[in-house]
Amino acid sequence: MIHDIIAIIDEYWLLLLIGQYPNGPLGGLANTLILSALSIVIAFPFAILLAFARLSKYRVLRWPVTVLVYVTRGVPLLMLVLWSYFLVPLLTGADVPSFLTMLTTLVVYQGAFLSEIIRAGIVALGPGQMDAARALGHGWFGAMRYVILPQALYNMIPSMLSTFVATIKDTTLGYVINVPDLTFAASQVNNQLLTQPFQVFLILALTYYVICWSLTALTNVVERRITRRRAGLAAPRRQLSLITNATEQP
Amino acid sequence: MTASVSAPAKDQTIRLADVRKSYGDFDVLKGIDATVSRGEVVVICGPSGSGKSTLIRTVNRLEEINSGSIFFEGQDIHAPLKGRELNRLRSRIGFVFQSFNLFPHLSAVDNVAMSPIRVKGVPAAEAHEKALKLLDRVGLREKANSYPAQLSGGQQQRVAIARALAMEPPVMLFDEPTSALDPEMVGEVLSVMKSLAAEGMTMMCVTHEMGFARDVADRIWFIDGGRIIETATPDEFFKNPKHPRAQRFLADLRH
Repeated sequence: MIHDIIAIIDEYWLLLLIGQYPNGPLGGLANTLILSALSIVIAFPFAILLAFARLSKYRVLRWPVTVLVYVTRGVPLLMLVLWSYFLVPLLTGADVPSFLTMLTTLVVYQGAFLSEIIRAGIVALGPGQMDAARALGHGWFGAMRYVILPQALYNMIPSMLSTFVATIKDTTLGYVINVPDLTFAASQVNNQLLTQPFQVFLILALTYYVICWSLTALTNVVERRITRRRAGLAAPRRQLSLITNATEQP
Repeated sequence: MTASVSAPAKDQTIRLADVRKSYGDFDVLKGIDATVSRGEVVVICGPSGSGKSTLIRTVNRLEEINSGSIFFEGQDIHAPLKGRELNRLRSRIGFVFQSFNLFPHLSAVDNVAMSPIRVKGVPAAEAHEKALKLLDRVGLREKANSYPAQLSGGQQQRVAIARALAMEPPVMLFDEPTSALDPEMVGEVLSVMKSLAAEGMTMMCVTHEMGFARDVADRIWFIDGGRIIETATPDEFFKNPKHPRAQRFLADLRH
């Protein structure tokens, strides 16, 4: 069993790592990591904008985004993936690479979930923090940037982490529209071997586990550092300030 | 856009003209007319639910009003203003909340220094130096690096006062600044407020601290049912209140 797994890795490690590259498109683990990272990095600011729109006093902003969030949350991701794969070329006539289709779908889907988490984090702070910031003369965006978001995002780290991990796992669905990711590579290997599906997909499962676990561990480190700093427990710093480091003269 | 209706006299820092506000069918403010002169300390008191907090929150437009005007240095705060204009006006009106509302993710010194840096563009080093001076003034220099969660209620409120002062406002508004405090911490906050008053700061305070009102106020506004029903000096108000509702209020306080 272990022997089989080692043999498979020994034989197919390059395919699992980078797919057909350089003879074909980049795939395998590398593509999974790129797709995951891009999805998270784009979905996160997108979700903040969606949350702002959901909290806006202007209906033009609030209503369409509310509809988007409800529809997205109420439809399985696989449906969205298939729709964007088949519908977007039909509607636009453009030939969109499957990687881009998957990336866009993931950003919209996870952005919708993430935006609700961020909105909850903002609402949970209560109106006092916004009042205080506005009373000092901060504009709405200034208050968000310097007062509300630093607290809301920090409080929501555990929930946001769950969404980030879900995003990584959801990249596997790219398989159905032929995104050459790790799952795609593993299934190619399986098709060649035919007799060892358990071993092949165990490698796949373990790899995803390690990726997601790493992200969780990294987030925990970040969260602990922020917590320590805000509890005043951090090692003495050169200066008194968190907020001024960026603007301080050398 | 300055008030073309009637340019208020220069010593009138704040003027409220027929200010009305309602929540649905409930009229909170039923026509408030009043002025606060430069350097004056006005204490607003009255039974709970009388509209005191709502009134003071309308002065920097944390609450909108339904009609009327509130002039601050001749400018109508409730006129249709550009966002930037309103922010500038607000930054010149210090506000101290009942629940302190310090920013929990920032240390005391950063709480005080942030807004001068981010709103007024004061260089960071300068803002910090100033913040430390202000913390010194409220007796909390040694707590500069503490976070709000590490401070007592009284200390938090003193930081909040320093934070408001950092914007160098000509006027300070206090919305029940001691109501959320343990009794033994009320004194430290009141003494900071007293020293501010002694330095000539224009102040509006909603408070139940009648001792503070007696010692520090130039005038007392007694509010009931959304109206100012009595305006008097502390002497007149405590010795000889004219309105029956004020008499009852003071009698109730003595129990």
